[in-house]
Amino acid sequence: MSLHIAVFLKQVADNTKLKFNETGPVLENVPMMLNPYDEYALETAIRLKESAGADASLSVITMGTLSAKEILKKAVAVGADSAFLITNDALAQSDSTANAKILAQALRSVVPNFNLLVFGQTALDSLDGQTGQKVAELLNLPSLTFCKGAEFSNGSITATRETERGYEVHEMSLPGALCMMKCDYELRGSNIKGVMKANKTEIPVTSLAELGITQDQSGEAMSATKTLKTWQRPPRAEAKIIDGANPQEAVASLIGALKEAKVF
Amino acid sequence: MAQGIWIIAELQNNALSSSTHELFTPARRLADKSSQALSAILVTGESDVSQAEAQLGHLGADQVITVRHDLLKTYQAQLFTIAIADLIKEKQPNIVLFAASTTGVDIAPRIAIRTEAGLVTQAIDLDLNEAGQLEVTRTRYAESLLSMVITPEARPQMATVKKKAFPAPVLDTSHNAPVEVVTPKLDAAMAKSSLKEIKQAEGSSKKKLEEADVIVSGGRGMKGPENFNLVEELAAALNGAVGASRAVVDAGWRPHSEQVGQTGKTVNPKLYVALGISGALQHLVGMSSSQTIVAINRDENAPIFKVADIGVVGDALEITPLLTQAIQEQHATVNV
Ligand SMILES: Cc1cc2nc3c(=O)[nH]c(=O)nc-3n(C[C@H](O)[C@H](O)[C@H](O)COP(=O)(O)OP(=O)(O)OC[C@H]3O[C@@H](n4cnc5c(N)ncnc54)[C@H](O)[C@@H]3O)c2cc1C
Ligand SMILES: Nc1ncnc2c1ncn2[C@@H]1O[C@H](COP(=O)(O)O)[C@@H](O)[C@H]1O
Repeated sequence: MSLHIAVFLKQVADNTKLKFNETGPVLENVPMMLNPYDEYALETAIRLKESAGADASLSVITMGTLSAKEILKKAVAVGADSAFLITNDALAQSDSTANAKILAQALRSVVPNFNLLVFGQTALDSLDGQTGQKVAELLNLPSLTFCKGAEFSNGSITATRETERGYEVHEMSLPGALCMMKCDYELRGSNIKGVMKANKTEIPVTSLAELGITQDQSGEAMSATKTLKTWQRPPRAEAKIIDGANPQEAVASLIGALKEAKVF
Repeated sequence: MAQGIWIIAELQNNALSSSTHELFTPARRLADKSSQALSAILVTGESDVSQAEAQLGHLGADQVITVRHDLLKTYQAQLFTIAIADLIKEKQPNIVLFAASTTGVDIAPRIAIRTEAGLVTQAIDLDLNEAGQLEVTRTRYAESLLSMVITPEARPQMATVKKKAFPAPVLDTSHNAPVEVVTPKLDAAMAKSSLKEIKQAEGSSKKKLEEADVIVSGGRGMKGPENFNLVEELAAALNGAVGASRAVVDAGWRPHSEQVGQTGKTVNPKLYVALGISGALQHLVGMSSSQTIVAINRDENAPIFKVADIGVVGDALEITPLLTQAIQEQHATVNV
């Protein structure tokens, strides 16, 4: 039995380049990037595929706008075999329950022979940390979260979770799902061969309609929660700056300032 | 009609976790505001949890439900999910709160699907509107935005609550709650994964970052791993935990479990001291909601000074040991 992996990648705004107005982030022409935790999901999946032998396969899926094809091409360039884009006009009005339901359905149609799903632990924009666990529950799969690494041997996955109790080593049978944290390795770069392969690889686009989901079934109708409003966090007050040229004096005034701020 | 407010309690080596204590502060406020009963749900494989049950009463629970089964002795997401989801379907609570611990984050989304509930994660504030909807305030876009999210119709309304978002209440040992013991219908075939072993992180006996009231973090400005004893000594003097920037984790000076920031831990302690940390956005997103931030950096234009409450422009290698000494001499303790 070999590994047929599906990795879920999300394109997010580069938060260091994000501008805001009163209602929230200004998303027009802000540079987009692959969600940082999804880089670890992708690298982990490529390593698992390499360890599972020739007939293993690695597909990547994203639900987003056409611009999300960028992260799919990047994934093919570093090692994915096939890539799928799901378009959903109601994405902005959807919560993680709606997204999970659509991703689970899309998965069945684009990667029907999957036996391992790999997610990031959290998306930088939503900060939900829910989608992987919800897709797993919808498909009645075991799931391991906060994973730092994973191995495939004799038909099952062994993964290490970073928890309050220490590093938990879990064994999971297939089919199953992993949600990755920062690992002790980074996503590999692509070489010319990979980039050429990516440019040649056709990326099918599947709409909700093709999945049999009508417009009014998606978005809020499929969501369990609703965001009422979004606002920018109030900036912190100006710092009290102490000159540290004379360390002894600086420490005395720092202690004084901490007392004044009722920290001590 | 869905009724009652639940807290999913968590045991850590047979005692209630600190984040479980913290849940009672918002839960009691919601219960009083809507005059609903507050129940604490204890899910365990242990035979004697009487001490934890008593403590849940002292924390303010009106009722304790202990969900006990041998299969729950070691942690397994599907078994915990099924045990809690079945109890929710049977007793139909209105609101269910989990701590945003690794267990809460692991099972709450699964339980939300299984019970068709709404789930809002990483709550930093909770309130009830006149329509009885749980209004959850949470962060978005790498902590730079706040959102208010509700669960319009689905019930129960669930949330995971960020650690340290609320103080823990004082125990009232005169208040006790009746305990109902429930045996969930579980069988081993439901679990498609199993916990093999738990390895302790290096130096894991020390304080956990997300549960510390004081954190002293070091960055590349500490110049080398050998100078991190200065960070550890200041942390010890303040009874706090040691944190690190990603730069020093990637350089191999400190373990990833100490990393604060976007791909590390998000913390909100009473006091955060940043030593030789520039204050890159990816670091700031992990600590900018700390109550008081102190930064020591020799570059007066370091971005860390934009979020700091008190900054010292100087050499951290010289100032830190003197600060530690002054704190020890004055027996200064942080008000928590
Ligand atoms: C996708 C992504 C995710 C990331 N996630 C994280 C994360 O989770 N956490 C994180 O921390 N970073 C993260 N980073 C990295 C982040 O961008 C910065 O590179 C990192 O935080 C810098 O660490 P630093 O401040 O220790 O080092 P530097 O940026 O090198 O700063 C060193 C500081 O020390 C000061 N200094 C030097 N000598 C002294 C002295 N003797 N006394 C006092 N001050 C001195 C300098 O003035 C400088 O300000 C991430 C980056 C990316 C791209
Ligand atoms: N629109 C999406 N397309 C593909 N994968 C997604 C999408 N949204 C979330 N995911 C996956 O779910 C993980 C957690 O997302 P979230 O639940 O939003 O924090 C991400 O790291 C991705 O692996």
